[in-house]
Amino acid sequence: MSGALKRFRVMAIIAGVMSLLLWFVDLPVVYLFNNDDWKSMVAWIPFVHGWIYAAYVLTALQFATKARWSLKKTVWLILAGTLPIASFAAERRVVRQYS
Amino acid sequence: MTQKSSFLTKLGQIVAVLLVTALFVSLGLWQLQRAADLKESLKVATAVDTNVVLLESITSPRQAIPPSALNRTVSITGKYIANFKAANQKDGNGVIQDWESALLQVGDSSAILVVRGLWSERLLNPDIAQSMDIQVEGLLVASQDGDRARNAPGEISRLDSAVVVSLTDLDLFDGYVVATSEATRNESLERTRVVPEKLQSRIPGFYWQHLSYVVIWWLMAAVVVFLPFYRRRVST
Repeated sequence: MSGALKRFRVMAIIAGVMSLLLWFVDLPVVYLFNNDDWKSMVAWIPFVHGWIYAAYVLTALQFATKARWSLKKTVWLILAGTLPIASFAAERRVVRQYS
Repeated sequence: MTQKSSFLTKLGQIVAVLLVTALFVSLGLWQLQRAADLKESLKVATAVDTNVVLLESITSPRQAIPPSALNRTVSITGKYIANFKAANQKDGNGVIQDWESALLQVGDSSAILVVRGLWSERLLNPDIAQSMDIQVEGLLVASQDGDRARNAPGEISRLDSAVVVSLTDLDLFDGYVVATSEATRNESLERTRVVPEKLQSRIPGFYWQHLSYVVIWWLMAAVVVFLPFYRRRVST
């Protein structure tokens, strides 16, 4: 359980940082500014975010399974990785409950 | 009764797992198809076909330009109905200049943007009237997707029919033509022609990105199949 918790915590923090970059750097550059140089500089963000989120989902599933969470709670945990602050909040909540 | 409801629950779970797995596998197949389409369009986009064909035979107004029509040498006859300055355009030699683009009415109801040449040479053919039929030959290329300048009266921000759509009732062709020659019934119009910008396609990047999404979707499909067994193992 502690291994799964550690893995989830690490991925929740990384996924949170990537979500912040995606929402507040990549999306504004792509949709608000017309600068091709900037666009090419941030093109890696959605790509890396996709992979990080996949890893986050795997660790969240493993943790939720070991913690015997309900399907509804598990789905919320997975969705938390899509919003910038939510994965940090989920990580804090899990730490409070299981550490 | 309990046995029956337990069976129904299990059946429901199996159906749900199969549905979600099928969804993820389909998403992977969709990304695989997109990767294949991009690879195909790259093949077409880098090859220039110098055989002259009629514009209307390879593309139609009000629809996206088919990949097979890109970089074809086309012939069009029509009337120029409006001129625009297309500022800050980079040509195939990397030189940035202002170009003269014009809307060529083709037939009664359609039109296409044509790059005629340099903006500085726009007064070279003062004898061209709007009623004159002009035969244009040139390279059909995809619309630009990034602004080079600001939209202003008589000026367009990029070579894209979308930026002139509000100025005309005609049905516009997607893409634009970089003219290599223009002629009226009596004479050919001589002026410096521009060399289209070399293709710097980002398609290979997107190609690998699509393939990586295939891996992610299929990984998720595998996880959905594996998860019930993992849950059972953890609970025992």
